[in-house]
Amino acid sequence: MTMAVAPARSAGPAAPDPVAMFTSMVLIRVFEERMMELRTAGEVIGPVHPYVGQEAIAVGVCAAMAPADFLVSHYRGHGHAIARGVDLDALTAELFGRAGGLCGGKAAALISDRRTNLLMSSGIVGAGVPVAAGAAMAAQVRGEPAVSVAFIGDGALGSGVVHETLTIAAVQRLPLVLVCEHNGYQAGNRTEEVYPEVSLLRLAEAHRVRAVGVDGNDVTAVAAAARDAVEFARGGGGATFIEAQTYLTRFHLQFERPSPEVRPADEMAAWRARDPIDTARQSSPLRDRLSDADVETIWEQARERVEHAVETARSCAWPAPEDAATHVWAEES
Amino acid sequence: MNEVGLLDLVLEEEFTRDPNLVFLATNSPASLRRRFGSDRVRICPISEQAMTGMAVGAAMSGLRPIVDLNRASFAMLVMDQLVNHAGRMHYLSGGQYRVPMIVTSATRGRQQLGPQNEQCPYGIFMQTPGLAVVVPGSLRDACALLRGATRWPGPVLYFVAPELNRQRGLSAALAAGPLPFGEAAHLRHGDAATIVAIGGAVKVAADAADALAADGVHCDVLDPRTLVPLDTAALAASVRRTGRLVFVDDGPRSGAPAQILSRLLDEPGVAVAVGGRIGFVCQPDVPVPSSPPLEEAMWPTEGRIRAEVQRVLGEPE
Repeated sequence: MTMAVAPARSAGPAAPDPVAMFTSMVLIRVFEERMMELRTAGEVIGPVHPYVGQEAIAVGVCAAMAPADFLVSHYRGHGHAIARGVDLDALTAELFGRAGGLCGGKAAALISDRRTNLLMSSGIVGAGVPVAAGAAMAAQVRGEPAVSVAFIGDGALGSGVVHETLTIAAVQRLPLVLVCEHNGYQAGNRTEEVYPEVSLLRLAEAHRVRAVGVDGNDVTAVAAAARDAVEFARGGGGATFIEAQTYLTRFHLQFERPSPEVRPADEMAAWRARDPIDTARQSSPLRDRLSDADVETIWEQARERVEHAVETARSCAWPAPEDAATHVWAEES
Repeated sequence: MNEVGLLDLVLEEEFTRDPNLVFLATNSPASLRRRFGSDRVRICPISEQAMTGMAVGAAMSGLRPIVDLNRASFAMLVMDQLVNHAGRMHYLSGGQYRVPMIVTSATRGRQQLGPQNEQCPYGIFMQTPGLAVVVPGSLRDACALLRGATRWPGPVLYFVAPELNRQRGLSAALAAGPLPFGEAAHLRHGDAATIVAIGGAVKVAADAADALAADGVHCDVLDPRTLVPLDTAALAASVRRTGRLVFVDDGPRSGAPAQILSRLLDEPGVAVAVGGRIGFVCQPDVPVPSSPPLEEAMWPTEGRIRAEVQRVLGEPE
């Protein structure tokens, strides 16, 4: 059931604007670089799992989603949140642990955002997959056209619940899109050290789920694959597993200091040469539509936007100690 | 819910009332499936983690799912979905999302299911914030609390003892309206001692109290009905009056009884009133063996309860 990515269709939603996608990727890159600096400086709290190098996947997938669609992310989720349109000030304040943060400082990176239907960013590998399937089931039960999208890493295929959910998604034809960002690393392990083969498509196919491979550093290709999968799900076709090949160009996580992980030099050089932002810049149509000055403006505006968010976060109050005990129980309505 | 069939009828009524109720299980009631269709009443493979995780996502998206785990021992399979997700998402999201879902399962019966599948794990979930824990002590409360669970704003773990199936009064039980959570039932009244009985042990505790009363020893018998939220006020008021406390539970001593005791000792006046006059008639902290003579030692019986109450009565004031 592996299939090539379908060409963009004339029917369905409008094709995403390449300049908007490029701008979003740049914003994620600038944000991630700044958050790592601010974690080292002790202003950002908790662990930071940088999304650098994977921006095309978040941006391409979110460009294919409608506002009513559901999204489930995980701890390496800043990029997903930004691509989905989560308020950058509230996201940043949350990463600073402030009361004005998206979740009042309770979540740090493990955010939810009801405004954009971001259900959760789980800190447990693979755990968001059945949650996304449940949201897909809700749409199915209510006869609503919403699709549920979950981002996972290649490491999530090690989790049994992901396989359980793939089986149920296939048999119940759930409107679900699983986007597997195959970045080659599972915390400290390389995927080939712990999996019987590196391609993950056959794992999805074994559960009879439609499986599609795509170059995860090519935002246009990702957007096309995601659009196809979302339309397939919305039309009642069922679930799709997208394996987007990419690379963990920085490290698994950092606290006070970046993790001292080492990447093979030639491998790193090859992936750096295929950086998703540079790739988008040099490919049509951006090659012709944006001048170097335009691109520099996009970077400068991203830096200004992120600095604004950082200043806003700095100005937010810390939560009051008694807030630790709020929201344990939902109020009866 | 095949252990207590009457609950399927409760569900049918609640499914009619609330179109957001859906059911996920490896074995869903045929009549429910016939009436409400395979979209709302789903049969799943033996994938408890996926079912429970799906319930979290469906609950966050506006449905009210019920997952029937069948056996309470299977709760061990879904700890991540229950503890890290169902019970945490309201908190983690800063109150943005609710997770109104119900997970049902059967606890211990005299069925020789052995060390793995004869369990009362509800005490574990008294230390996992965000999860309501319901353990009905009568067939009527089983129906009424299930109705209450379908109105609760967050996740509910509902543990029912197969022994409740032996009770009569089916139509009265079915007619009972929804019970609010956090209100203990005060089943017998007396000043000699407070008996706190849970789930399948409630009936035997009440029978023991009746036998003691015939001998002139009148005890309070309280059934918390929901362990979370716990009606600490009602239990503490009784203990402050009687000064003696005996727990009766089908589950292990270090489970719900120890949890309830620690909460009561936090209440003003309870520790002084009760002194050391505390007794337990519970499953010892060992697994439940299969062979009937071995299993027998694991049950609270009328004789054991009477003996424990008398022992506590003999302790000095």
